Amino acid sequence: MDNVIFNVSSVTNAMRGKTLLEHNGIRAYVGRTIDADGNNGCGYSITVPEGAGAERAERLLKSAGIRIRSKQWTD
Amino acid sequence: MAYSGMGDPTIYLDNAATTWPKPAAVRGAVQRALTVYGANPGRSGHSMGMAASAAVYRCREALAGFFHLEDPSKVVFVQNCTMALNTVIKGLLKQGGRMVVSDLEHNAVMRPLYALSPDAPIYDVASVVPGNTPATVAAFERCITPETRGIVCTHASNVFGTRLPIREIGAMAHRHGLAFVVDGAQSAGLLPIDMQRDNVDFLCIPGHKALYGPAGIGALLCSGGRLLPALVEGGTGSQSLSLQQPEELPDRLESGTLNTVGICGLEAGISFVRERGMQELAEREIWLMARLYDRLADMRGVKLYTPRPDLRLSAPVLSFNLDGRRSEEVAQALDRRKICCRAGLHCAPSAHRHFGTLETGAVRLAPSAFTTREEIDRVSRAIWCEAHAARHSAGRGENPGP
Repeated sequence: MDNVIFNVSSVTNAMRGKTLLEHNGIRAYVGRTIDADGNNGCGYSITVPEGAGAERAERLLKSAGIRIRSKQWTD
Repeated sequence: MAYSGMGDPTIYLDNAATTWPKPAAVRGAVQRALTVYGANPGRSGHSMGMAASAAVYRCREALAGFFHLEDPSKVVFVQNCTMALNTVIKGLLKQGGRMVVSDLEHNAVMRPLYALSPDAPIYDVASVVPGNTPATVAAFERCITPETRGIVCTHASNVFGTRLPIREIGAMAHRHGLAFVVDGAQSAGLLPIDMQRDNVDFLCIPGHKALYGPAGIGALLCSGGRLLPALVEGGTGSQSLSLQQPEELPDRLESGTLNTVGICGLEAGISFVRERGMQELAEREIWLMARLYDRLADMRGVKLYTPRPDLRLSAPVLSFNLDGRRSEEVAQALDRRKICCRAGLHCAPSAHRHFGTLETGAVRLAPSAFTTREEIDRVSRAIWCEAHAARHSAGRGENPGP
């Protein structure tokens, strides 16, 4: 298992996603996207630590209309 | 004597322009923002930048909660209510069309509309019938044409306080498939606005009036699915490889560095209003204006233009004139008595035309959470003195003009 990083379009969406996840009992952190594919330029991401419920987090983010631009996994 | 700002017993009743003083919590939040949140929000990833981003987001949440907007990302920060109105009006009419407005609008609504088509007006004007919701809504509905794209109206007149029935106007606008835009300059923080229940698609607000934030911060709150084009393009800290402005809010309408200091002050102002209670604040201010109204109504030579202030029908703003004296002259005389108020046309010639004061202007008084009954009574006595002086001058045949 790894940490899951959801890359989103803006810091506002990242903050919104973090708040949403935390309200649903999922720990999350906001940080600058280290854009592996280089397609988007600047952006922000929501990191969900290993074991914190990444799949559920993804469902929650999508259901709230937060567009996930890409997803990464880190150790 | 010039105002020193250092303990003068000044009575400030120009709160319809900008509230003063600001609550201690707002001053503290501004100081804290300058000290702690100095980095640029939404640009970098270092801890100070992220702290600033989080502070900005807290204010988005506060505004969304206050005005019942589900998604905080649809709160767009702008420098003032005028910029918000320009963004919406020019955005909605970018592909052409017309807007319906009321006859009480501020120039923040009328000038953008005029600028879009100086030679052929692209707006239709509904005449408000104060206190009569069905007649007012019908007046708006009669103005709708096949070219109409939306309705934009003030929630409360910035000169006379007259409230417009936004919920009913919004419902009618939606029945016709039109966007409904509310200018909340005089109501945000005083009168309840529920963007969902009141059918408001775009709410334009200043931060520096009844929300008690500092000057230089306002917001545009967007509900529904209409996507406005950007009035200004530029850096957003997102999707930087693309030359195209991002589509998603708030970045689409928020180019350039945000006013973190103003935003933090605004959040503290919202908390102040919540803690004091918006309804309680409004009721108290209306009571103060009604108290003043009763005294002015009994004075010879004082001309009033509205019914006695009543929260169901008006925001706490009161305008008057003295017989034989120009409004600007009266405001100057009151300033000499350490009373701050505003005279003239208040950037709202439409409203003055409606109430028959286009030629004279009017003297406007508006209280805040910090205005006291004693201050209102001092103002009442000062106006009596000025009215008496005007009658005395007229009796001697002196020219009452400046």
